[in-house]
Order: sequence, then C-alpha cells, then structure tokens
Amino acid sequence: MTEETDTTDTEERTDGGGTGIVPPDDETPTWSERKARKEGLPRLTYEYFERSRREDQDLRQQSSYVERDVLGFPAWPHEMIRNLAIVSFFTGLIIMLAATLPPHIGPPANPSQTPEVILPDWYLYWSFGLLKLGFLNPDLALLGGEQIMADRTYGVVANLVIVGAIAVVPFLNKGSARRPVEQPFWGAVGVAGVVFAATIAGLSVKNLLPINAKLTQDLTFLLPFVFGFITYAVLKSMREGYMFNLNRRYYRLRPPK
Amino acid sequence: MSLERKDDHDHKAWMESRDLSRIEGVYLMTLMWLDKRLRIVDYLELLEDLYYKVNLQMPKSHTEQYGLDNKFWYWYPLYALGSFSTLAYIVAAISGALLGFYYTPGAGVSETSSMAYQQIEFIMVDLNFGFFLRSLHRWAAQVMVAAVFLHMLRVYFTGAYKEPRELNWLIGIVLISLTMVFGYTGYLLPWDQLAFWAGQIGVEMSLSIPLIGEWVAQLMFGGFTPNPATLQRMYILHVFFLPFIVTALIAIHIGIVWMQGIAEPH
Repeated sequence: MTEETDTTDTEERTDGGGTGIVPPDDETPTWSERKARKEGLPRLTYEYFERSRREDQDLRQQSSYVERDVLGFPAWPHEMIRNLAIVSFFTGLIIMLAATLPPHIGPPANPSQTPEVILPDWYLYWSFGLLKLGFLNPDLALLGGEQIMADRTYGVVANLVIVGAIAVVPFLNKGSARRPVEQPFWGAVGVAGVVFAATIAGLSVKNLLPINAKLTQDLTFLLPFVFGFITYAVLKSMREGYMFNLNRRYYRLRPPK
Repeated sequence: MSLERKDDHDHKAWMESRDLSRIEGVYLMTLMWLDKRLRIVDYLELLEDLYYKVNLQMPKSHTEQYGLDNKFWYWYPLYALGSFSTLAYIVAAISGALLGFYYTPGAGVSETSSMAYQQIEFIMVDLNFGFFLRSLHRWAAQVMVAAVFLHMLRVYFTGAYKEPRELNWLIGIVLISLTMVFGYTGYLLPWDQLAFWAGQIGVEMSLSIPLIGEWVAQLMFGGFTPNPATLQRMYILHVFFLPFIVTALIAIHIGIVWMQGIAEPH
C-alpha cells in the first residue's frame, strides 16, 4: 500500500473513491518475479515464457491496436463468487417449493363450457388488466360519438405504450446519479410504476375483488400518483440530508452566515 | 529475402548461449515446439492469473466504501437476482427436457380429454417422480419470472441502466417479454380448462391488432379459436423457438455485463 491511500482512508469518503480492490502483494506477479521463485526446469520454463511474452509485447507495441480501460465492477470472480453463494441457496428454495407446493391440474379443455373465472398466470395480470381499459377509450364528438379504435385494440396499444415507456427510460434519464435519493423524480416514477403494475393487476381481477368496480377503476390510476408523490416528498427531504453529508467539509470550511 | 524459414526470435542462438544440460535442452526444445503450435504460454498464464485472482482480497463493497457496514448486507440478494433467474432458467430447462420425454402435444377431438391432458395425468399419477418433476418445472418458471421482474426493479432503482448500459436495458426488456411468452406458451400445454380459455384470450388479443391481426392469429395460433393446431404451435414455440432465442439473448445479456462490469453497486 502506498502512503497516499493511507492518508485518504482517515478522511471522510465521498463518491468515486475507486474500486477498493486490494491484491495481497499489490499486483499479480510478472513472469520474471515468478521465475525468480523457481529452480530447475520450472525456472527454465518461465525464462522461456518471459522471453516469449517480451516478444508479444514488442509486437503489440508495433501494432495500432489500443487497449481501453472499462470502468466497472469485475463480473468475474468478484461478483460471481458472491452470487454463487446466494443463488445456490435460492435454488434450494425452488426445490423445496416444488416439493411442498406442487401444482394441480384443472378439468380438461371443454370449448362448450366457459368457466366463471378466466385468468392467465399471475405475471400476465398487468397485461390482462390493460386489455380492460375500454372505459378510458374516448368517444369522439367529431365522429358522432364513435371510437377511433375498438376497445380491445385500445388494450393492445396500451400494452405497447407501457413497454415503449420502459424502453426509453435510459434515453431520458442521463447523468451519473445512481441512488434514488440522488434523483427523487425518477425514484417517484419507479414507485408509481410498481404501484400501477399492482393496481392494474387488481383491475384485471376486478370481478373477484370485493370493491365497487367504478372505485377499482379510479383507484387504479389514483394510487400510483399518491404513492409517487409521497415517494417524491420523502426522497426530496432525504436528499437534503444526503447532500449535506456529501458537502459537510464545505460547510465546515465556510459556515453559512 | 530468402525462401528459407527463419526462426524470428532466434531461439536456437538463445539456447546455445544458455549452456544447457542434455535434459534441459530436450525439455526446452519440446516446450518450444509445443508452444509454437499451441500457444501454451497463453493458457498457462490464464491459469496462473486465475490462481492469483482467487487469492485476491474481495473488493470493498459499496457498504464498506460508504461506511455502511453491518447495515446494508441484506441488499446483496438483490444484486444476485440476475444470476438467480439464469439458474432458475437452467433448472426449468433441465426439468423441461425430462418432461419432454413423456409429454405429447395432441389436442385431438375426444369426448373426455385430449392426448396432452392424458399425458400430463400420466406424468402426475403413474410416472416415478413425475409429480415432482412437473412441480419443479412449474415452480422454476414462476420463480424465474418473479426474479426477472425484481431484477428489472433493482436495475431501475439503482440506475444501473444508465449511459454505457442502455443496450443491455433494451435486451432486458426483450428478455422479460420473451420470458412471459415462455410462461404463456407453457401455461397452454396441459390443455385443461384454464389453458383453453387463456388461449382464447390470446387469440382475441392478436385478432385485435390493427391490419395484421388475422394474419398474426393464423401464424401464432393456427386459427381463430383454440384448436389442436394451437397446441401444436404453442409446443413448438415453447420447446424449439423460444429456447434458442432466449438462451442466445441471455448469453449476449450476460456477455455485455461481463464486458462492461457490474454497474458499481451503490
């Protein structure tokens, strides 16, 4: 470890403190260092490899290829090792779930008998709910009260709009802010989206909910906004504290008048 | 310029200058001969680097870096959700291949039940471990969808989709959609009441697409109501098209993560 890093450790850290990756002897040994620790044939091997590497190095320097640094946290081995431990635990959970809660099978398909409840799997409820948005389909006065799209077309278009909205997020939200506290607006949008996914799923099973259908429709669109606003307010006030921590040294040097 | 091949780096002269014993000389000749053809040095270096990297200290996690130790370790599972959904996918693939030994996608017109339904009954009742196998396949699928959803939320709320990683976000959207298509096609395979009427919804959805609706319904469902062709198509989508496409996309998705590094946990 160099002296520089020692001194910075004692100070308060802010963003961008480096990766903090510390090998035991500062770095992976070179071929010459490995050679120095060997005797006999292994040493001879390393002598040859050292030479061979130097030749490669010469060739590389002659070529116009540029090696670039990629900034990020190494996927291998650092992230993978941590993931393996967690993931093998959860795979055990899958097997346990499968053993304890096996699925059963309903009556065979019968085209002449419509069941009372028709539902897709749970993860498609949101999409199924979007198909039931016909009540939002505007009747245009210009067309004499007719609708541009059929209700079910409207539902399919709503699906495309949702997927499209998610797809453009990285092109709208730029900059280096990462945590929700650093970007209250996008945090609020995210929470509103999650709540909307839940409420629209609720809308798809509205005939099973013990709530007035009209009320369900209103709540579907009201709740996301409510939760979004609450999140925004909370994150905004959290950000004050967060920014104060980041800038504490600034305040210490120049106390506000 | 001569046509005679020359030893570019003059290994021979180097060896002569070394004053090697007989054994060493033979050994080095062999080594050079092999290395010239197989580039052993590359692989050896790879292995040794791996060995040294395994012995590296783990990097400081964001919790250590920001002085939040002992408070935030429980966030780590959220960073493993991508791996977890991949693993659930592998579990589903293996159990699905085993189920495929016994399942037949036949929805022939029968008074009581279809071939597909009978095969599912066979798997659940008669086949050794069949009940568990089906259960495992279903739960792996459910868990994979859930993990993928949560993975997307984690990526959103930690801003991991930003600047160099937009492409992976888009691939992720395609993957989550295909995962749900995977689930939907699988949901239809038992050909019970739920499957049949979920198929009905699917047909109606594709019919309501403007202009190309009928064409899409014909292509994906083989008709305007669920019928034996629908089951056949869902089966082929589920066991042939989707596995290739999704596996390739997952490989690209993870490959890009590998190339770009994990978005610094924050």
